[in-house]
Amino acid sequence: MKVLYADDRGRAGWPVLGALVLVLGLVAGCATAPDPTDREAVVEFQQINDPGEPTNRAVFAVNQVLDKGVLKPAAGMYRHLVPPAVRTGVGNALNNLRSPVIFFNDVLQGEMRRAGVTFMRFVINTTIGIGGLGDPASDMGFPYHSEDFGQTLAAWGVGEGPFVMLPVFGPSNPRDAVGLVVDFLVDPINMWANNTDREYITYARGATRAVDERARNYDLLEDIERSSLDFYATIRSLYRQRRVDEIGNGETRGNVPGPGVTETPRLNSEEVSQWK
Amino acid sequence: MEVKRFRLGKATAAVTAFILAICLAIPPAASAGREDAARQFIASLADRAIQALTTADIPRAERIRRFRTLFNDHFAVEDIGKWVLGRYWSRATPAEQTEYLRLFEDYIVASYVDRFATYTGERLRITRALAEEGERATVFSEIVLPGGGKTPVRIDWRVESGAGQPKITDLVVEGVSMSTTLRSEFGSIMRRDGGKLDGLFAVLREKTAAIKAAQ
Repeated sequence: MKVLYADDRGRAGWPVLGALVLVLGLVAGCATAPDPTDREAVVEFQQINDPGEPTNRAVFAVNQVLDKGVLKPAAGMYRHLVPPAVRTGVGNALNNLRSPVIFFNDVLQGEMRRAGVTFMRFVINTTIGIGGLGDPASDMGFPYHSEDFGQTLAAWGVGEGPFVMLPVFGPSNPRDAVGLVVDFLVDPINMWANNTDREYITYARGATRAVDERARNYDLLEDIERSSLDFYATIRSLYRQRRVDEIGNGETRGNVPGPGVTETPRLNSEEVSQWK
Repeated sequence: MEVKRFRLGKATAAVTAFILAICLAIPPAASAGREDAARQFIASLADRAIQALTTADIPRAERIRRFRTLFNDHFAVEDIGKWVLGRYWSRATPAEQTEYLRLFEDYIVASYVDRFATYTGERLRITRALAEEGERATVFSEIVLPGGGKTPVRIDWRVESGAGQPKITDLVVEGVSMSTTLRSEFGSIMRRDGGKLDGLFAVLREKTAAIKAAQ
């Protein structure tokens, strides 16, 4: 049984690009706001939370061209030529390299137990796991989880802001875009590479992450594109739902809006802030 | 002997009373019953779906027929369809509503049926069930997918058991609700066409045909 599973673990951050994108976002064209007297339309407009939709769609189209021309073929070849065991090792190593950033965000969110898990994972996998290629920590009761600064900001009560489609980096919002930049800046490996004139390491790691990530979601994205009526709207919806789930560490559940007796979303106040 | 037996009886009574008190203090029995019912419903549906859909050598037409039957029997298809269309449902004429539900069902069947073709024997593990307001319950489950690493994928089943027979109203995979995703797509098409259903009907027909032809 194949199910939808969007993992957005890997989105490296290039601060320059991030800043450029934010500027672009500000200059962006705006979606036509609905007639303010049509209450249902106004509610819908707010729920979709995509005032820059025309620009976002244009950026998405460019991203699609880049994907079809570069990333997707690269990921396809990677999947085709590299044996699964090696790919698993590469994925493990990339996860392990992200440990310091995950630890940093665990701590900032006050999640000390999860910070401990991240710390133990890093120690175990770097040593017994041979530089992170293996993942013995998972079998020892320290399963992987991801965190990023966008989630930390959310935990601190910062709202997502309007949906933004970033060039190259894909679906995001101002909060998560800032998160990308912060995660990039606090990453010790990036710091070391940038301070010792080894920027190529940063680029190589970013490219590997992009290919690894794309290969991992290859079939999933194919399936979504094949079956969705409006690919852009689907990606937007998937991104926003996944982020709510990630921010709640997979524990935000129950009484979310859905088909049933009423049309009105019945949310508690905490969930309302997450859905906004 | 007499004394001892009497003491034991007293102790048993005290324990019984204590247990009773706890049971009464804990949630009403009705919700516990609803949770068990929902859990059993999902477990048996999963078994039936696996049996009916994952035999490798059944022809696709037969697979589609079986999936459609399972879908109509166990999902609140009409409720889902209405909710997915959102505010445009009540504005549609009865004829449009009928046509919409027909196209909706066709589209869902076509786009979901092949997801079972790649199934290779993973077990769905039900972790817990939770009664919610109204006649609702959510059944939480997980499944380890091949190549998905060591972390299982979480699947939540939202079940409504209003008029006797329980029905699934939504499927939430890793926090992503199928109904919510469909609603945002359908809404997007409807807004593009200024709230007219013709455009949506055309897209649904075209997409369903394309999915069927691709296999």
